[in-house]
Parts: sequence; C-alpha cells; structure tokens
Amino acid sequence: MALKDIRLDMVDSFWLTKFPSMERADLVALRKAMDGGFREFSRSYGDAIEGFFDPLLYFLVWFEKLLLNAPWIVVLAVLVGLTYAASRSWKLSGLVLGSFLLIGYFGMWADTMRTLGIITVATFLSLGVGIPVGITMARSDRVQSTVTPVLDIMQTMPAFVYLIPVVMLLGIGKVPGIIAVVIYAIPPVIRLTNLGIRMVDREVLEAATAFGANKAQRLWNVQLPLAMPNIMAGINQTIMMALAMVVIASMIGVKGLGQPVLKSITNQYFTLGLLNGLAIVAIAIMFDRVSQAYAKRSQKYLGGMHGD
Amino acid sequence: MKRLISAAVLFAGLVTAGESQAACGKVSISDMNWASATLMANVDAFILKNGYGCETEIVPGDTMPTGTSMVEKGEPDIAPEFWINNFKEALAKGIAEKRLNILGDALSDGGEEGFWVPDYLVAKDPSMATIEGVIKNAKLFKHPEDPEKSAFMTCPAGWGCQVTNGHLYKALNLEAAGFDLVDAGSGAALAGTIAKAYERKQPWFGYYWAPTAVLGKYKMVKVDFGVTDKEHFDKCLTKEICENPKPSMYPPSPVKTLVVQSFVDREPDGAAYLAKRSYSNALMNGQLAWVEDNQADGETAAVHFLNTHPEIWKAWVPADIAVKITESLTKM
Repeated sequence: MALKDIRLDMVDSFWLTKFPSMERADLVALRKAMDGGFREFSRSYGDAIEGFFDPLLYFLVWFEKLLLNAPWIVVLAVLVGLTYAASRSWKLSGLVLGSFLLIGYFGMWADTMRTLGIITVATFLSLGVGIPVGITMARSDRVQSTVTPVLDIMQTMPAFVYLIPVVMLLGIGKVPGIIAVVIYAIPPVIRLTNLGIRMVDREVLEAATAFGANKAQRLWNVQLPLAMPNIMAGINQTIMMALAMVVIASMIGVKGLGQPVLKSITNQYFTLGLLNGLAIVAIAIMFDRVSQAYAKRSQKYLGGMHGD
Repeated sequence: MKRLISAAVLFAGLVTAGESQAACGKVSISDMNWASATLMANVDAFILKNGYGCETEIVPGDTMPTGTSMVEKGEPDIAPEFWINNFKEALAKGIAEKRLNILGDALSDGGEEGFWVPDYLVAKDPSMATIEGVIKNAKLFKHPEDPEKSAFMTCPAGWGCQVTNGHLYKALNLEAAGFDLVDAGSGAALAGTIAKAYERKQPWFGYYWAPTAVLGKYKMVKVDFGVTDKEHFDKCLTKEICENPKPSMYPPSPVKTLVVQSFVDREPDGAAYLAKRSYSNALMNGQLAWVEDNQADGETAAVHFLNTHPEIWKAWVPADIAVKITESLTKM
C-alpha cells in the first residue's frame, strides 16, 4: 500500500507525464500585472484617445441622423439612383428598389438605415487605409513579411478578446464598433491589393519603364489598372466581412440590424431574427452587385490593356 | 455450510443493493457565464463527484439557452444558479409538464437588482443615493453618442430586465429629465462601461445586479426610489405590456437551483443535497472578491470555498458523505 502510494506520487510529479507549467501563483501575478497595466493605461490615456476619435463620432452621428431624418422616398431615390449610375442596369436597380420597399414594409427601415450608415463609413475607412497599405506591401518584401502576420492575427483573433478592452478604453457605441468592424474587415483588401500588384507581369513593367514612365506613372497607369480585378475582389470581401460583423458590433452597443437579431435570438423569435438577417443579406448583395458592376464597366472602359 | 452460503448470498445481495443505491451515473452541470454560477457549478461538481460518486461533467451555458435545452431536451441535469424571473413563462410550462423541478434557493437572500451609481458620487453628494438626486444631476451622466442627452445604462436586448427598465424609465419620468435608454449590447459590455467609468472616476448610472464579481470589485450604491411595490412589480412592471407603470424598486429576485425531473428520479440523494445547498449574499460576495483578487478559475474557487467554509457545506450533506469530501480535499 505504502509502496503503491509512493509510486503514484512519483508518477504524479514526473515531468514527462505532467507538462512543466508555470506556477499558478506566478501566472496569476503575471495576469494581474498585465491587467493592471492596461487599466493604468486606460486611466491615463483613455480620455485623450477618446478625444482623438471624436471627429469620427460626430461624423457618424451626423451621417446616421441624415439617413434617419431624410424622407424615405428621397433616401430610396438616392440609393436606386446610385445603383443605376454605377451599374447601368435596370434589373439591378429594380431589385434594390424591391428589397428596400420590403425592408420598409416589414418595419426595419430605421435599423437598416443605421446599419447602412455604419457599414458605408466602415467600408470607406477600410478601403482608405487598406489600399495604400496593400500598395506599400507590394513594393517592399520587408513590409510584406511584417504586415502578413498582423493580418493573420486580425482575422483569427476572436473579436470578444479585443472588444471589451476597447469598451474600457473608448466606451460603447459607434466608434469602438467601427474599430472592431474595420479590424475584422480590412485584411482582404490589403491582401488582394498586394497580390494583384505583385502579379503584374515584369515584362509589362519593363516596357513601361522603356517608354520613360516614372515610378508614380507605373503605379497609377500600369500596376493599379492591371491589379483592378484582384483589388475589386478584395473590396467585395471587405464589404461582406464588414456586414458579417454587424451582429458582433451590436454586442458593444452599436444600433442597427444587429440588435434585433441578438434580441430575437435570446427570446427565440426566430422569424424576427430571420427577417433582420435577410435585411443584412439584402444590403450585402446591393453593395456587392453595385461594386462589381461598376468594376466591370470601368475595366471595359480601360479596354484591351489586359487580354480579355 | 448451507447457512453460511445463504448468509454469504444474502450479504452479497445486500452489498450490491447498497452499491446500486449509492452508485451515481453521469450528471451534467451547467456553468453559466457569470462568476457566482461558476463557483456554484464547481462546488456542486466536486461534492457530487467526490461525495456521491457521480460522473460529473460541467457544460457551458447561459440563462436562455440552458433553460430552453432543459425544457426541450432534458439536458443538462442541473442549473445551479437560475434567475427564474428571466425565464418565467417557459419555466412555468416546464414545471407544469413535469420536465423541470425547482429544488431550492441558490441564493438565500435572493438576487439584488436595481439602479446603481458609483460610491464616489454619493460620497461627494449624498443626494445621489436617491432617484431625485440623480434626476437633478442628470447632466453629469454623459451619453456616449449624443451630447444633448444623459445616459441610463439598461439591460442588453432580450434580457427580461430590459422590459422592466423600460417601464421604470417611463414611471420615473427619466425621459423628461433628459435620460436616454442606452443598450450596451451584452453583459460583458455593460460591465465594461462600469469598469471604464470607475477607473476614471466618472459618473455612471444604470442597471446591475448582485452578487457579482463586478459589484464585489467596484463599490456601487443602489439608488433609492422610496417605494417597493412587489404586487405592482410582479403584475405589471415585469410584463411586456404595462399600461400604467408606477415606480417601484426591484424586490429581491428569486434565484433557484433548477434541475430536470429525470435527475430527481435518478439521483434522489444528489437532489436532497441540492435542495439544502444555499448561499447567503454576504458569503457569496466574499467568495467573489477572493476569486477576482486571485483571478481564480472555477475549480480553484470551489476548492478554496470548501476548504475555508466547512461549517457551511457540512450542513448540506449527510455525515458519511462529508467524510468522503474531506478526504478528497486533503488529497488535493
């Protein structure tokens, strides 16, 4: 009996069977020190960082109020008009008109406008930051090798891990919401801009150089137009991922279609959840089709620069 | 010889009978995603496993999904801390259909809900402990998006208390005072707003509940409305439609130990333990403060509780079971 006990004890503390992990007390001390450091940071710099984002907040609030207070006919006319201007397709414009009429009829107009507002701003912010980063990445291997792992983290880190620290830093609402959306949605446009530019034929670039094109001319007139199909695919993915984040963002108080989705699921109103989910899908399809149609038209206009 | 054999047979029969009674099968326990429920789930798991020989499994959960699954699927077996007001109708149905069973009070004092402000505000201006004082100082509570409004932080969408807070918002004329109902979106974000305000000593006014790790760590004062009208609260304020809401503070909320009926039929001994098992709010707050200070996980917290308060849990189990549990604790 005593012998058995001793042997069991040995097995229990043998380093091969039990992973030699950090002492619990040390681990707790480390976690507490890091949490304390973050609290200290948020206490001393939180207000300043909040102030930095104030202009963005004012713009978002202004844009949302504009969409909400404008007569619905005007908003609808602008949406359908933009769709037609971008796609020159009556069929697509009719589809947008129909789906927004249905959204209004099912009582989701206000929430849809809120989501539309935040997604539009998030998309433009993602493109405004993402495309230049993608271009820089394409021009330097060193930048590429540092940015790629960051993008991997942004895409895989569970959103809640950074959502609540952001709440402690910036509070709840639109600004932290849009930061979360941009973090999640920006990687595709960066990756595909980088890829598209890198895939441009060396020989085409050499020819451009031979004709006396400088660096900027090569970028604007050769690389970007040739990379356009890839960049457009990236923009499309970015829009889709931004819309997928709507529900997550509503968990830190972003108003819009995400909130009724959360509410209906906790209350088990499945139809209400489905209706709001479908409204998100309608917005996504509209953004996607319009941007794709626009890209196709603008590439046709560029003519025979690439084979097809 | 014959007698010896029959005695042996009889003895063997007794032993197996005794064993089959004592043997306990698989028991699943829901670990709700807040600190006190996690502690309770781990204490129950430790006692059922080491005291009653059950094969315990802890599964993650939350009020709505766990409650629904218990009614519809009979799984998990035990929800150690269940705030039944948040699940009223489905619960009544589950009990009427003999699928669910309420065994006893998880929190003997009941849960404490209400509108709270941080204690540093009250220290500066004692009138802040009353709703009149909060309304008079409405301008202090800055809205996160609209500079012209004040913020009242309400429950996330879909929680039962969101309905009640909406009625109280009307009854207390908070809208006229400039307050807007702000939905933080999730329990974690609501706690985040408290933490943010507290770290920077900013004003905060909203709904929260105790015992929680948040209120254990950040000292808050419950705002006094002057009246508690339990009847009106139950009949009107908690209902989706309440024509004439009148002010009333939250009465203590019943917090129960909920089990599926099949668990009671299968494991009467375990059920008898759960029926006795109950924590006072003072005890729970102390435990949660320790958990928060040590960032302890559920199991560590449970062992800490069992080691430091044997006088409490020994009253929940028969003496022979208590001996087994003590033995397991000394082996830890």
